[in-house]
Amino acid sequence: MGSGGVNEGRRNFLRAMVAVAGLSVVVGMLRGLEVLVPPSIGISAFPKLLLVDESGKPIKASQIPINGKQIALFNYPLGNEPNVLLALGDSNGSPVEVPPTTVVIPQNGVSYEFPGGVGPNKNIVAYSALCQHLGCTFPELTFYPPGVKAITVNGPMDKVIHCSCHGSTYDPYRGGAVVTGPSVRPLPAVNLEWDPNTDELYAVKMIGPIIYGHPGYNNPTQDVINNPLGDLEGGTPISGTSTIVKYYSNPAS
Amino acid sequence: MSSGSFWDRIAEMLHLKDVPFMGVPDYMFSIEYWLGAIATSALAWQVLTGLILLLYYQPSDAYDSTMAIIHNVPFGSILLSSHLYGAYVMILAVYVHGLEVFFRGAHKRPRGIQWVLGVLLFAMTLGAAFVGYSLTGDVLSTDAVGVGKGILTSLGLSSVIPVFFGNGTQLDLFTRFLGWHIIIASALLLFFMLHFYLAEQNGFMPDPREVNYRAPALLSRGDSRLKPWWPRNFVFMLAVVFLTWGIILIIPSVLAIPQVLSRVPILFSPYPGPSPTSPQASSVPPYPPWFFLFMYKMADMPFGLATDVLMGIFIPLIILLIVPALDRGDLLHPLDRPWVTALFITGLTWVIELSIWCAIQPGVPVAILWFILVIVPPVIISFSGVYAAHRMWIRVKAKVNSASLSGRSGFKLSKGTAVALGYLASLLAIVAIAVSLFLNPLTDGPYVGMMWGTASLAFSAALLAYFYVEYLQ
Repeated sequence: MGSGGVNEGRRNFLRAMVAVAGLSVVVGMLRGLEVLVPPSIGISAFPKLLLVDESGKPIKASQIPINGKQIALFNYPLGNEPNVLLALGDSNGSPVEVPPTTVVIPQNGVSYEFPGGVGPNKNIVAYSALCQHLGCTFPELTFYPPGVKAITVNGPMDKVIHCSCHGSTYDPYRGGAVVTGPSVRPLPAVNLEWDPNTDELYAVKMIGPIIYGHPGYNNPTQDVINNPLGDLEGGTPISGTSTIVKYYSNPAS
Repeated sequence: MSSGSFWDRIAEMLHLKDVPFMGVPDYMFSIEYWLGAIATSALAWQVLTGLILLLYYQPSDAYDSTMAIIHNVPFGSILLSSHLYGAYVMILAVYVHGLEVFFRGAHKRPRGIQWVLGVLLFAMTLGAAFVGYSLTGDVLSTDAVGVGKGILTSLGLSSVIPVFFGNGTQLDLFTRFLGWHIIIASALLLFFMLHFYLAEQNGFMPDPREVNYRAPALLSRGDSRLKPWWPRNFVFMLAVVFLTWGIILIIPSVLAIPQVLSRVPILFSPYPGPSPTSPQASSVPPYPPWFFLFMYKMADMPFGLATDVLMGIFIPLIILLIVPALDRGDLLHPLDRPWVTALFITGLTWVIELSIWCAIQPGVPVAILWFILVIVPPVIISFSGVYAAHRMWIRVKAKVNSASLSGRSGFKLSKGTAVALGYLASLLAIVAIAVSLFLNPLTDGPYVGMMWGTASLAFSAALLAYFYVEYLQ
């Protein structure tokens, strides 16, 4: 060792100093790992989006197939947030008016108003296509039209939205209310607007619990229900003023 | 080493004393023996930051996602600008390393293959850097893509354009660039491992005076001056790594300070240029990255693009690759092999001349007279100059050789001063890191980068002081 007149105490102190400096540099820079946390993007308010088909032409409310022979899905309020668009009818295929109703959340008893169906026959509704239980989506979560029975814990049922993952059942004729568990929250509904002059449909807001997986979805307090801003975080905003409706064949038809 | 028992135990658990790397004599703890280590440290930084950038870069949205890294990701501006400057530092280090090796004669036997691998690494470094530079999707990258396609077409290779640039869509272009960037970088890592393995197996080249300027210049494994790799080489290596990382962090951070940024020439900007669709784009000259300026100027020469590119890229590369075959004698001193030394000095002068010329007049066609005026004088000056020096050297070398080994003397830092400097540097590192903790990673990016760079450099200095006190005679 080339101590060169430096005594051992001072050398050891230097070693300790350098070790502390190195440790603080490394630990201090670990703060940089925050770089791994992606910045949250989202929007500050619910956008008003026109429902269009894949060629960009507006969907006509009176031409939506009744009873979901084909399932129509569109993203709202962010990209990759699927919702199912339904024109409800009875077993003869005639439109059934969906009246405004009060929906109760079984999880905590909080309730909210569902404004009812829109369109010429007030039979068009749209719900989040992400099951509130564990987030399964179409085709596991799908609409069972009149005459097509889903096997639920309450026995065979039709005219329901049923999730084959774990068996949650919702009533699209009553604001997406829970019919059977395991889900403890209704399906969030899309507030639709119908323009009687053009027969076009707009998605304007979400109603009910936060969409599955978004901040606050498992805690539907009255405040959250009144102002479901969690729906606007954690996804890519949809660019433009329209959202595309795509049709898929319904496994339950 | 009484309090060393903690480190000794760690070394034992990790078998650090058994690491099969070569120890070196004391005189090799000097920067000229660690130029490759600087390039490697920069490479390590590139891998680290590059992998994190992969989490954010979107080929479908190249420019906007790049700008989002700078503006929206915490620490993102440091990440991106230090990835750019990491490449710059690596390129410079590779240049200096290669030149040092050449002038020292370290490419001579038994290290010929090591040199060839080194040249390939040099080419891959420039290739990966070029593709990475184009990933930003700014106006310069758009220009660079156009030039790249033109060069391939001129060489009659238009059929391989889709291989590098995709099927014509922007998405395929940037997806491929990202792919090629990673492919070239991975190949580079593989070749680096071979290069490093050979360096270890051949051993580091000793001071050429020890071998009387004759190949093979080898250190005997039994040399009593070789002390174990652990802990001496490890401590010094750590100092080199933090020195390099500090430089990589501090330069782009200083350049990114808003008041400075507006005055930085676009060639050295730490951030991408304007978007190709923005109005400012038209005011930006179509520059390549600075390390390709010389090639871009070559493409302006009056011989047709194919010949220009051949002269600017392929012939120099081939000459570099066959240097071990061109320069086969056993004499190591550059003045004992004047022709190839003059050739290197000429080539280096050309690179510098053409780069500066290109920075002033990018893409301006060159008349044959100007070509001759720029290209011929360096040949005459360096060949005649080196030849004259060679004649002088032959006369005096016997005397110089016998005198030179008597050892260096001169200024020597006292150990006590080194200890004090070590304390100071350690304190500075701790203070700089502490300051960085109070800065906002999103809005104060450049200042966080400066503090990190300062801390890194100070820690490196502290390590070097410790190294000097503890391990050098």
